Amino acid sequence: MEESYPEEYGPRWSDRRVERMLGALVCAVVALLLAMIVIVFVKAWPSFAHNGLAWFGAGGNVDDQLNAIFLSGQAGAEYIYTFHAWPLIWSTLLITGGAVTIALFSALFVAVFIVEFAPEWMSNVLQPVVRFLASVPSVIYGLLGVLVLVPFIGNHLVSESQKASVAGVISLSGYSLLAAVTVLTVMIAPLMVSIFSDGLRAVRPGWLEGSLALGVNRWRTTWKIAVRTARPAIVAGTVLAVARAIGEAVMLAMISGSVGFAPNPADGAIFIFEPSRPLAPTIVKNIDQLSSPPANATLFAIAAVLLFSAALLSLTGWAARRAMRKYGATA
Amino acid sequence: MKSKTLALTVIALLGLAVPASAGAKTLIGSGSVAAQPVLQALFAQYTKVTKGKVKFVYTANGGNAGVKDVQNGTSQFAGQARTPLPSDAGTTYVKLYLDGLCIDVNPKNKLSDISIQQTHDIYRGLITNWSGIPGSGLDTTIDPVGRDTNGGTYNFFLQAVLNNEPPASNVNALTADGLVVNAVKQDPNAIGYDGLAWQGKGQKALKVNGVPCQASKISVEPLKYPLSRYIFIVLPTENPNPAVQKFVDWARRDPVAGEVIAKAGGVAAFNKKK
Repeated sequence: MEESYPEEYGPRWSDRRVERMLGALVCAVVALLLAMIVIVFVKAWPSFAHNGLAWFGAGGNVDDQLNAIFLSGQAGAEYIYTFHAWPLIWSTLLITGGAVTIALFSALFVAVFIVEFAPEWMSNVLQPVVRFLASVPSVIYGLLGVLVLVPFIGNHLVSESQKASVAGVISLSGYSLLAAVTVLTVMIAPLMVSIFSDGLRAVRPGWLEGSLALGVNRWRTTWKIAVRTARPAIVAGTVLAVARAIGEAVMLAMISGSVGFAPNPADGAIFIFEPSRPLAPTIVKNIDQLSSPPANATLFAIAAVLLFSAALLSLTGWAARRAMRKYGATA
Repeated sequence: MKSKTLALTVIALLGLAVPASAGAKTLIGSGSVAAQPVLQALFAQYTKVTKGKVKFVYTANGGNAGVKDVQNGTSQFAGQARTPLPSDAGTTYVKLYLDGLCIDVNPKNKLSDISIQQTHDIYRGLITNWSGIPGSGLDTTIDPVGRDTNGGTYNFFLQAVLNNEPPASNVNALTADGLVVNAVKQDPNAIGYDGLAWQGKGQKALKVNGVPCQASKISVEPLKYPLSRYIFIVLPTENPNPAVQKFVDWARRDPVAGEVIAKAGGVAAFNKKK
């Protein structure tokens, strides 16, 4: 048998060798990941230990707390760790939640259109465009936001009386929830469209044809059969988009505003114009304070929360996909 | 066969990386964003003067971060816009040129003169409406913008204007000097601060305590303009790189370097006149 192995197939790597090499690579990646998680949590521990669950709660001005933490490390006196991250968490929830909700619905309809309704030439054009949009670096969206959207909101949408009503507390100058949610939506929607349309395309044609043959119209067939079957892809796309939105730092640091302020829906119409600062941009903006030990622990604690929510997200996605498998889902 | 090809590729790739470091000397620096326009101009001129033998890589990550880079050896020098602090142990500050921190408003604002006290009150949130600043011709809410804590400009402003009190919560802290310029340019109600190198780009520099923010007024000692400062090159005290020292000497003494500094928006403090 050995002699009949054709030379042009190239050198023969025994399967065992490949298996071991790939196995070693996977182990290395897993070890690296574990090491990273351990380092982040170890570094973050002092901050959590001093604050307990109050870390996640509200209380006091979060920017003053960050400043006091930083200065206590510089002075070398007793370290201060008191930190209540609620305004930052609330801002992350609002911006991510808002963007993902809007993007989910618009992306779903766009994907259905591209796969089921658009003429072939159009979907041939739209697909590469969507894929391209999904891969645009976030800083470009940030620049567009800063140069176009923020001044537009600040100069045309916010009125002087609205600005005066909160003068001295926050500036309604365009750096706002509205700007952040809009740009984040534009950023994550293409990612969702491209995953959703892959899912819709993977639906077995026989199921759709069967439904059409029974006289069900195309919209109903699409909605009841294609979209339902593609639900695991929709969950997967949404989870990926949420993960990208939560971790987005550079773009949001440029346009969400820089104050650790919790926008309050009870403020009425100006709510969407209020600035805030989510968790990830807080790390970017205070990166210079890493040299102060308590500030270092606090920033790593923020990183740990982000890491934990990312892990929780992929777990939720996995569980949701598992639950859907009984409906004949393929993905 | 395949493993040989792989090995050859790796060697070829390594080979590509070597000539870049062998042909010319590359000096690595980081630090002040405020000093970046002037430093980049100096780098370009010095590379020309040495006929391409010395090249520079400069990361504008903020003056404080730059000094940290020098302390832990990742940078051979740092640009810095504030005076030394006790936390800068192990580094030597060399005065390179003078810079003025200008207070800027949108050209639509009629104001021409502002005092340090008024600026302090605006950035501490004590004055929130332009009607509180006589001469502005506006009665709208002030949008103060500034830098985040990563900027040397922030530290200078904090020391020189705010008496080390933190800015109020209505001050929008942006991540770069260029973004401050952009915000002031686009918002008629804005006020911002940035270096002399950034002036004349769609924003209007105010006189501070009656002295205009111009290169000619920011003279060598005594510093007449209230918000003028030295820009430093920070070197490690132990074994500074001789090539970097040579560059610093050139930038401080050479008349051509003086012209480059002036053109890029700084004020040459030590350079001989031609």
